[in-house]
Amino acid sequence: MNTVWIDMALAVVVILAIGLLGTSRLGSIVRLFALQSFILAFLPFLLEGGIGIHKVVIATGTLIVKVIAIPAILFWAVRHVSIRRDTPAIFGGSASLLVGGFLIGLSFFLSSRLVLSGKPFSDLLIPSAFSTLFIGFLVIISRVKAITQVVGYLIMENGIFLFALLLFETTPLLVELGIFLDIFVGVFVMGIIINHIQNEFDHMDISQLTSLKE
Amino acid sequence: MRLFLLSLEILAFSAVLVLFLDRFRKLCHFVFVASLVAACSLNFFVSFPFLRGGETSIFRIPWSVPFGEFTIGLDPLSAFFLMTIGCVALASGIYGCGYLQEHHEKKNLGVHYFFYLLLITLLLVVVTARNAVLFLTAWELMTIIGYFLVTFYDEKKSVREAGYLYLIVTHCGTFCLLVMFALMGQAASSMDFDQMALAHYAPGLTGLLFILGLVGFGAKAGFFPIHIWLPHAHPAAPSHVSALFSGFVIKTGIYGLLRLIFIIKDLPAWSGPVVLAIGGVSGVFGVLYALGQHEIKKLLAYHSIENIGIIALGIGIGLLGNASGHESIALIGYAGGLLHVLNHAVFKSLLFLSAGSVIRSTGTGEIDAMGGLLKFLPFTGHLFLIGSLSICGLPLFNGFISEWLVYRALFDGVIHLDKFGIIMAVMAAVSLALIGGLAAICFAKAFSVIFLGQNRSHRQDIYKENPCMMWGPMMFLAAICVWIGLFPKTIVSFAFASAHFLIAAKPVAAQTEFLLQPILSTTKVLYIFLLVLGLLVLCRALLARRYPERRVGTWACGYPSLTTRIQYTASSFAEPVLRLFKWMVCFQVQRSEKSRINLPEELELSSKVVDMPEHFVFRPILAMLRRFSGMLLKLQSGHIPQYLFYMLLGLIALLLWKFPWRA
Amino acid sequence: MIPFISVLSRLAACLLFSPFLLGVIGKTKAFFAGRKGPPLLQPYYDILKLIQKGSVYSVTTTWIFRAAPLIFFATTLIASFLIPFGGLKAPVQFWGDALLFTYLFGLGRFFIILAAMDTGSSFEGMGASREAIFSCLSEIVLFLNFAALAVLSKSFSLSQMIGESWWASWTVSGPSLILVGASYFMILLVENSRIPIDDPATHLELTMIHEVMVLDHSGPDLAFILHGAAIKLFVQGSFFVTLLIPFQSHNRIIDATVFLAAMIGLAVIIGIVESVMARLRLNRIPSFITGAFVLALFGLIIAIMRVL
Repeated sequence: MNTVWIDMALAVVVILAIGLLGTSRLGSIVRLFALQSFILAFLPFLLEGGIGIHKVVIATGTLIVKVIAIPAILFWAVRHVSIRRDTPAIFGGSASLLVGGFLIGLSFFLSSRLVLSGKPFSDLLIPSAFSTLFIGFLVIISRVKAITQVVGYLIMENGIFLFALLLFETTPLLVELGIFLDIFVGVFVMGIIINHIQNEFDHMDISQLTSLKE
Repeated sequence: MRLFLLSLEILAFSAVLVLFLDRFRKLCHFVFVASLVAACSLNFFVSFPFLRGGETSIFRIPWSVPFGEFTIGLDPLSAFFLMTIGCVALASGIYGCGYLQEHHEKKNLGVHYFFYLLLITLLLVVVTARNAVLFLTAWELMTIIGYFLVTFYDEKKSVREAGYLYLIVTHCGTFCLLVMFALMGQAASSMDFDQMALAHYAPGLTGLLFILGLVGFGAKAGFFPIHIWLPHAHPAAPSHVSALFSGFVIKTGIYGLLRLIFIIKDLPAWSGPVVLAIGGVSGVFGVLYALGQHEIKKLLAYHSIENIGIIALGIGIGLLGNASGHESIALIGYAGGLLHVLNHAVFKSLLFLSAGSVIRSTGTGEIDAMGGLLKFLPFTGHLFLIGSLSICGLPLFNGFISEWLVYRALFDGVIHLDKFGIIMAVMAAVSLALIGGLAAICFAKAFSVIFLGQNRSHRQDIYKENPCMMWGPMMFLAAICVWIGLFPKTIVSFAFASAHFLIAAKPVAAQTEFLLQPILSTTKVLYIFLLVLGLLVLCRALLARRYPERRVGTWACGYPSLTTRIQYTASSFAEPVLRLFKWMVCFQVQRSEKSRINLPEELELSSKVVDMPEHFVFRPILAMLRRFSGMLLKLQSGHIPQYLFYMLLGLIALLLWKFPWRA
Repeated sequence: MIPFISVLSRLAACLLFSPFLLGVIGKTKAFFAGRKGPPLLQPYYDILKLIQKGSVYSVTTTWIFRAAPLIFFATTLIASFLIPFGGLKAPVQFWGDALLFTYLFGLGRFFIILAAMDTGSSFEGMGASREAIFSCLSEIVLFLNFAALAVLSKSFSLSQMIGESWWASWTVSGPSLILVGASYFMILLVENSRIPIDDPATHLELTMIHEVMVLDHSGPDLAFILHGAAIKLFVQGSFFVTLLIPFQSHNRIIDATVFLAAMIGLAVIIGIVESVMARLRLNRIPSFITGAFVLALFGLIIAIMRVL
């Protein structure tokens, strides 16, 4: 019975990633990321092993850092620079969706080729981890505004979190706390830099940063 | 068999007779029409017994050509194609008689009829030949006679160029066929098809033969990258010749491919996916290019490419089913492809003949200069409507039945095949859905811009309907469309009989019943639909009697001075689709120079699509070949000492080769 | 043999119940907008009013203009025979009826497009051209959904593909069915001209797709088109509802009640979606359909992975 809920949760995670590719409004992008992290926070509870202190700490950590704190920082950044849209530059709307679909197919293909030591509790886990990773990477490549780049990086982190679920029993709690601190500090620093860029240049386009070298 | 030979003799004899009768106009027409009617009816009678049972029969005369024998055989596969050619040749021929009436003074119609009857004879020989030499001879002659038919209006330069292109491309294909038959004959040590069918071929050889066959027969059939002669030849030819070409001549390519599949029993496993890919690409690109055309015969020519793609999809899934051992998938796939051969021949001829009527009445082929013709040309218009509904594969008409069969084979593949097979079948099904949708857009555009609305050019002429010799054959074809659409049992069982023959299996009555059952249920639902529609029409008529009706001009949202130019034109209708697929068809919109002035009075906006293989592949190759041959020209200077020098070089080489060197 | 009573009751449900769905959608949108909104039975009043009016025909039109509403209405009625309503079986089922289902709607749409071009007005031409491309794209996604369902249920008849979704198959193919359902919901919005594709309430020609195609129809013709559109929403919605609600007791009354309640729920959901989203720009609609395509593709991949 549990596998059904895990499967559905993983499917919803990838659906949200696809939705993120399709929208170009910054508010929606941040909200979709928050929703995705919310689902990921509760995912450890669906694994076997009962409710241990390990899982509760992870869940609370994810909730506080990725669902509440970081989206708050991002919304502050969005309001501060008052930009609303970030249309994909290299591909365009439909094309980035199609590339995302291709990457999902690729991740299913890759995961069928991997040889694992233990059997994962759901055969959708590795494909959705790969998919989220690839889609995060795609967001970083195809978008132009700095805030979306940050969200892309965070989605890659979500993908890595899904991989970490595989090794859940063996990862010490300290490592995961370290990861949380890492993310938090990283986003904080990025927020400060975004603020400074905005003050200095009046816009958020990273493509314009190349003009610095002249 | 004897009746078939009789029909061949009738055609050949009247061909020669008609050549000399040009002065006696009425006699000429009479002989032409009578021979066509006689020959085609004989063909129908001949083909039915072969399609009901599964027999074959052979006729042989020894011939002095080396390796060649005049062997003709009839089997279910040939019989199916005989039936097709009967319908198409009869209708186009009688139509052509009426169509060419006005050209009597300027052109020698007797010669044209001679070529036409000769072409029919050759087509009949091609689909029944049982010897490779006979097949190739008939194929070559067919190409050449076809050239003469296409260049009927040879006073125009574009027509002559179209003829050359046709000859060149089909000859490249014939070269591949020559190589293929030579290899096959060598492996089987005989040029006879029946002997070849019994021989065993090495696996590498079958792959090579299949590729040669695809290129050779594909050049004639119009598979996508080598289709470039079709869009030029069809608009250049007179309409009944285009109908015959599009209806049957390109199907000889499909016949050749099927005969190859029958002879080489164990094709490599990659043959199915390759044919599916070719089918999908031809279909999608064909219909996209058709959407970008504004001249009606070129539009119909690209649609032929699309339908060849659909036939290839059916054959491809048949091959895939055969390779993986699922006999029912193979059966349904081949039956769908074969039925689409017949259906396409019928409705494409109908469409070309109607297009010819429209061109004859209005004097132009540009769609954007027409409009509102349904009132002036009722027969032509309604028959074009039936043709359009058939080609879009909409229910009640024959296109739906054959596309249903191909879909069924594809979805059976989705359910039963392995992973790779499922992916191929799903991709093919999705491309078939895309093809069907785009074809519906294209024909909605063509029919509505030509026949509905108001006249978009500012001419006020009254157009006259064409004589009954022209719309009579069209009605015959439309009746076939409706008959297959609503009562498909006979024709579908014929298609299944041919498909059984193709995979060399014996038809089992219970299995055929089982396969036919869903189609019969479909038609039952369609009868109920017609019943409900009839009731609704009654209701509506009752309501119309009670409450009044008024007729006024079209509401124009309050704009005061509207002209007929404000209506949607064909290019505007197709623009959203073409813009979406811009990178596939090189869609360009061009503005005139005057748009730079602030308040211009007259502007021009036009859109066009560029045929990609033609412009980006073949024309550059042609340019390279020209440069290369220019360079070679220096070797032939006409200077005699230079030729003596070549002879000296040749002598020295011979000496060095054959000199008895001391060991 | 087709049981007579089941066919009649099915026809009655389609004819009588479908305008009620439009009323529910209207009331939901009004609730979100803080208004009272038109009465629930308003679509019935509209249809009855239109039947009693005379019609005005343009001099440019031909018989196609008069025939198109009738053909459209007839196709939607016949399509309702092919699809199971919740736990109730379809009266006609055979292998491949999903194809007939799709192509019947295609036939109706073709004639409506012809009728729109028949008037010789550029407004209708605009709507016809847009409708043609969007429905073509949504048909592709529909076939991809059929492929996923065919892989899961090993058959290609609508009754087997969606009618057998018990809890057992949900455990195997759960994610796949969710994805197919989400993709189909997006296509439902496209085919029935709901926001975010098309605004059924506005009459600005630059923003309409379906409304502008039927601009010139009046009187009983318009009544047939309205009622036909309601039946189309009902029939296509029942595909969605039967897919997602795996409920079948063997009692007809309970099945019918559950199904009708689920349809009203679907209407409420559509109303909510219409109220919280705005209409997309016309050149963003292909992106929307591509999103549905990717979801269906994902569902198909999971289905292939699970079944093989």
